[in-house]
Amino acid sequence: MVTIALKAAFVYYVVYWLDTFILSWQCLTRPIVIAPLAGLVMGDFHTGIVMGAALESIFMGISAIGGAIPADATTSSVIAVAYTILTGASIEEGLAIAMPIGTAMSSFGGLLTPLWASLAPFWEKLAVEANPKKFLIVNILVSFFTMPFVNAIVLFFAVAYGVEGLNSLLASLPVWVMTGLGAASGMMLAVGFAILTSMIWSGDVAIFFFVGYVLVKYAGLGTVPIAIIGAAIAISLFMSDKKLSDLKTSLTNTQVNVNDDEEDFF
Amino acid sequence: MAKKILSQEENSVLKSMFLRSHTVFINFNMVKMEANCFTITMAPAIESIYGDDIEEKKEAYLRHQNFFNTHAVALSFIAGLAYAMEKEKKETGAVDGQTIESIKAALMGPTAGMFDSLFFNCLRVIAAGIGIGLCADGNFLGTIIFILLYGVSQSVFKYILINLGYVYGTSFIDMVFETGLMTSLTKSASVLGLIMVGAMTAQMVNVPLNWTLTVGQTSVVVNDIINQIFPGLLGVVLLFTLVSLIKKGKRPTQLIFGILAIAILGALIGIF
Repeated sequence: MVTIALKAAFVYYVVYWLDTFILSWQCLTRPIVIAPLAGLVMGDFHTGIVMGAALESIFMGISAIGGAIPADATTSSVIAVAYTILTGASIEEGLAIAMPIGTAMSSFGGLLTPLWASLAPFWEKLAVEANPKKFLIVNILVSFFTMPFVNAIVLFFAVAYGVEGLNSLLASLPVWVMTGLGAASGMMLAVGFAILTSMIWSGDVAIFFFVGYVLVKYAGLGTVPIAIIGAAIAISLFMSDKKLSDLKTSLTNTQVNVNDDEEDFF
Repeated sequence: MAKKILSQEENSVLKSMFLRSHTVFINFNMVKMEANCFTITMAPAIESIYGDDIEEKKEAYLRHQNFFNTHAVALSFIAGLAYAMEKEKKETGAVDGQTIESIKAALMGPTAGMFDSLFFNCLRVIAAGIGIGLCADGNFLGTIIFILLYGVSQSVFKYILINLGYVYGTSFIDMVFETGLMTSLTKSASVLGLIMVGAMTAQMVNVPLNWTLTVGQTSVVVNDIINQIFPGLLGVVLLFTLVSLIKKGKRPTQLIFGILAIAILGALIGIF
């Protein structure tokens, strides 16, 4: 069990971490990529590939096992491949084990969200030092130990020693800690938005903040339609400003002409 | 718009920005989301534009350490545009920091929606469909095709869009600058930026009040009453409280830990 767990955690960690640096977003962490790689590490490439196809179909919602789609594609894929290769279990059995681990991992991850959020002021301070090399290096170093690392450790213990330990740990936490941390994550975003708002806020146009707000809350529109409405308002404002300035220039010009005429007249 | 020929320096800056723009989710957090990637991506541009001017550099780094969130490919386009705007800011003074902020804020929401449906919901499904067919027969080519169609194609688009953002950004600003309507553009950009920030606040900021007042036989869900007055009123109140605290010079650290404390205390006494 410990070997399965170690290999699964290793593949998960490397791929999850690497996905942050190459090929855009959520490419390497998809089942169709990570399952063959897990197979390769665990010594059965062929099974990894075939399972990659099956797992990708499950997670794309093409087919579901027992009517349910497990929460986290990456975790579930790695664990399912590990179990199938090392114990001869079926995909269904592998996923049955993976599902509670994925759920426990995401609730544990939720606990740590405020921790990553509390790093934000540190990043801001580091950025203002205007030392881009240092900023990049510290970012890369810290990224070794954040989400992928914590997740891989939790995955390792859950696979090696059973998910019960993790679940009882989570259950032993008072409910208010969990709800409190959950509530904090929803409200912390307001800090980011508040900094942004205070930078672009200016008296004569401030009211437009509420136009966007109301369009979401009352009309339930998405960002694309709101952007189109907003662009229409912005463009018509721009155009009326342009007309005003055109008028101003033409007025100044005629005034100059009139003055010239008057001088001639007198 | 006239085709612009990029200098060697501009090309090398854009290439470096392209490579750096892959770190979209590096140290992603719930306060500023993709801000770290944006700072890392803008670094070559800021260094090349501001050179030794340390004060302006600090200001620029702070500007691009602000809240940012969009799709990975769209980020490149906005970064290219931001490079163009920073350059105009330094060289002609036509653009100010507030305009750069506004345009970033205006673009991130709608581009996120557009690119998500294009790449995540469309291209990914096509690529996986082809890949699954091959992988089911044990052919690793399926995985490679998936990576090429879904991953590599996004990188290619990132490369194209970062250049497009820069070239069109520059010529657009030049055009407006020549007509002398830069202040009008600044104002329009702020309007659009504020509308989008308002929309994103409404979508993302959530004060999950879960408080039921029980008086005798009747119980009242407090959040329902507040939302009847104005939907999401608590979110707006929270945001503007934070804005006024920031204007008073409170540090983000204090605000973040304050919120954490309030959330946990609130949960303890049972209002969340």
